[in-house]
Amino acid sequence: MRPEIQEYNFDWMLGALMDVGSKVADGTEKEVDRMNRYVPYFAGMTKSILGEGRPGSTFLKILSKYFRNLLTAHDEGRKIAVTTFCFSPSICYALDVIPVTLEVITALAGMMWRRGAFDYLDYGCELGFTETSCSAQRGALGAYLAGLGEEIDFIVCDTPGVCDTNANAYAFAAAYLDRPLYQLNYPQILGEERSNTYHLEDYREMVRFMEKHSGNTLSEDRLREVLEEIDKQDALIADLEDMLRLVPTPVPTVYNLFNYGGRFIFSGWPDYTRLLEDMVESARDKAKAGLSGLKSGKEKVRAFLCYIDHYALNLDFWDWLDAHGIAHMGGILSRNFRDNGCYIGGLEGSTYSVDTTNMDTMLDSIAQMNARMPMVRSIRGPYDRPNMWLEESLALAKVFQVDCMIYNGTPGCRNTWGMIKPFAREMEKHGYPTHIMYCDAFDGRVESWEATAARLEEFFKVRGLL
Amino acid sequence: MKEIFYDAATRVASQPIIDWKASGRKVVGYSCSYVPAEIFHAVGLLPVRLRGIETRSMEIGDAYFGPYICSFPKCILQLAGEGKFSFLDGAIITPGCDSMRRLDDCWRKAGEDYEGIVPGYFYYFDVPHKTAPHGMNWFIQEIKNLISSVEDHFGVSITKDKLQESIRVYNRARRLLKQIEDLRSSRDVPISGTDAFAVTVAGTVMPREEYTMRLGELIEGLNKHPGPNQRGKKRLMVIGSISDDIELIKLIEDSTQAVVVAENLCFGVRYEGNEISEDGDPIEALARGYLGESTCPRMFGKYKARLRALKEIIERANVEGVVMQNIRFCDLHGSENGLFERDLEAIGMPCLKLEREYGPLVETGRVKMRLDAFLERMS
Repeated sequence: MRPEIQEYNFDWMLGALMDVGSKVADGTEKEVDRMNRYVPYFAGMTKSILGEGRPGSTFLKILSKYFRNLLTAHDEGRKIAVTTFCFSPSICYALDVIPVTLEVITALAGMMWRRGAFDYLDYGCELGFTETSCSAQRGALGAYLAGLGEEIDFIVCDTPGVCDTNANAYAFAAAYLDRPLYQLNYPQILGEERSNTYHLEDYREMVRFMEKHSGNTLSEDRLREVLEEIDKQDALIADLEDMLRLVPTPVPTVYNLFNYGGRFIFSGWPDYTRLLEDMVESARDKAKAGLSGLKSGKEKVRAFLCYIDHYALNLDFWDWLDAHGIAHMGGILSRNFRDNGCYIGGLEGSTYSVDTTNMDTMLDSIAQMNARMPMVRSIRGPYDRPNMWLEESLALAKVFQVDCMIYNGTPGCRNTWGMIKPFAREMEKHGYPTHIMYCDAFDGRVESWEATAARLEEFFKVRGLL
Repeated sequence: MKEIFYDAATRVASQPIIDWKASGRKVVGYSCSYVPAEIFHAVGLLPVRLRGIETRSMEIGDAYFGPYICSFPKCILQLAGEGKFSFLDGAIITPGCDSMRRLDDCWRKAGEDYEGIVPGYFYYFDVPHKTAPHGMNWFIQEIKNLISSVEDHFGVSITKDKLQESIRVYNRARRLLKQIEDLRSSRDVPISGTDAFAVTVAGTVMPREEYTMRLGELIEGLNKHPGPNQRGKKRLMVIGSISDDIELIKLIEDSTQAVVVAENLCFGVRYEGNEISEDGDPIEALARGYLGESTCPRMFGKYKARLRALKEIIERANVEGVVMQNIRFCDLHGSENGLFERDLEAIGMPCLKLEREYGPLVETGRVKMRLDAFLERMS
């Protein structure tokens, strides 16, 4: 790693920029202009986000708060747990632990810095972590392995059996940094009593682990508070998803990012509820007026991202969709599978509910919710088994009236690269033109965003979608 | 004598399998060492480990798997698509790792294009990633489900008595393999690493009774007439990604400066080294034996236990250097090799990290050059 990179605390660098962004949100035009001179590469991102009005401003503020919490955690006596986007951080908040969601941080580095997370991505490889591993974790992880982030107290994640590459990153970190690790393990099936029981038993064990290493006991009242907040958040997400079904959809493309970005770091916190409220209110106003959420006002295509998005500098991916009149119909990251969702018809067995009656019902609720987080729900088993990726994607495509499918991931994703070709064939057979992106969502050196955009453009033109 | 083992270890449709089929009996392939072979043996089915040797091209494997996938399952799919597994009456796929578990999806999809390549019995066996009580219970239930499924499909009855007898038969060979490991640990090393590895790999495809008998004869022969004295050569150990490739070990030993005295490989004695309890409930015994010993990096969070096991082998076999190979895109072994390298080099054990492709040794020149440099460093 370059010596100058090692001079700065990674979390502080990101947090300081976010702090700037959150202040820009309330600044005058002159103040914004002056501020942007000092953060030229971040200015594009703030411009795109703030272009969405209050939801954008709220999003930047919660990101800023997230880093503030992280940077002050140890001073305030809180423990820091590294985790993954497939894991609901709500249990961390219930135990007064600050979560570090590696993938969110790697994505932010990719969108905020011209150099992305490149130095950190490479640093892991210098230590022996494979270069073929998933960049989503490898980016931020490089900083923590180098001792450039806040000190990690323990590690919790949930991907063994679902995404071994992901699980391996956390196992490597635990071994390298000599930190305690608990990994929830999910069976290959979903929707049966047997797997639900396994989810709960494993989760209970994990709570004991977290209590031990956080020094805090899970309180019934605090867990109820968190779950009641999640209940509100799920209802708001359901509202947003309902509006996403409208043609044209009044939901802007970037709301997808706001939705899951907030959920992966602030699920169960009131700040995320406020963000969702702002998004619902703004989309509802557009819906009442029959407006599209796209800036051009003209929705030409409805695209479903069957996996993840692309985290190029600024918000180039979302801006590109918007500029081309392509509405973002969500992806694997933005769906939550609460039993009140508009798309659960036919997928009932694979949803979760929230029951705050007592500690047991709450633990079951949070365990089952966690088991329906992105990836761990949809790609745990063979792609064409009940409740899995194919069935889910087809159900969602129908509900949201999508015109095409786009697969984007990272070369590190053994799991989806192992089945994307059969999956894409099925999608085409069902009438959905499907585009497989061969870039790396978190590493622009694999394929530049410009090249990726050119391929997207080609797909939409060749398939007669634009 | 060794020819029998070499035939089984280097040919997909080896003579024992051909003979077995010719006698009207059935064969079931399995993809991972977590599948208890005793289940099939108990009812006269021949369990054979699925392998990707003899692959000469990859157009079928590449057509169904994406580009960033380990070449081992691709090779298996390639052979399946070419009809090389036509002797299989059944196949068991497990979530050994992400690449391997997608063999299930891709093989079935390829079956839509290549008629008859999916065996009549095709089963997905869910192996958990933890040995905690709930993980063990899950695995026990999975074994029970597998047994029921085999019984239904093949019209057989897998009783506890039959299972217990199969465990005893399998343990006999395990004990003999342990004797070979002890011989390899001795100063004179009466058997080359290449021969020993061929013997071990052969055990994954040969009928167990015949294998055990041949193994006994081999050990008797080695005790009476040891092979050429290997003293003075560098004593190496090979670890890492799945490998059933005799040529890889041969390449190391061809240098004439080195002898492979131990492996810690999925096809090696890593699993065969653990005897299954012959007492109590045989299903629980199989579960504890196959899942309980966490030697594969798929069992996350057990790095320290694996390092300890590695050090024990190093000490027992007087290993002087460790070759850590991993197939490209095998992040589990690749990353763990990085940790092993850090911790073993710290105690003065020379390590060589080697990334390679599974299949024909197309990279022989590069691998050889690195091995030579490694041996030079050790001397």
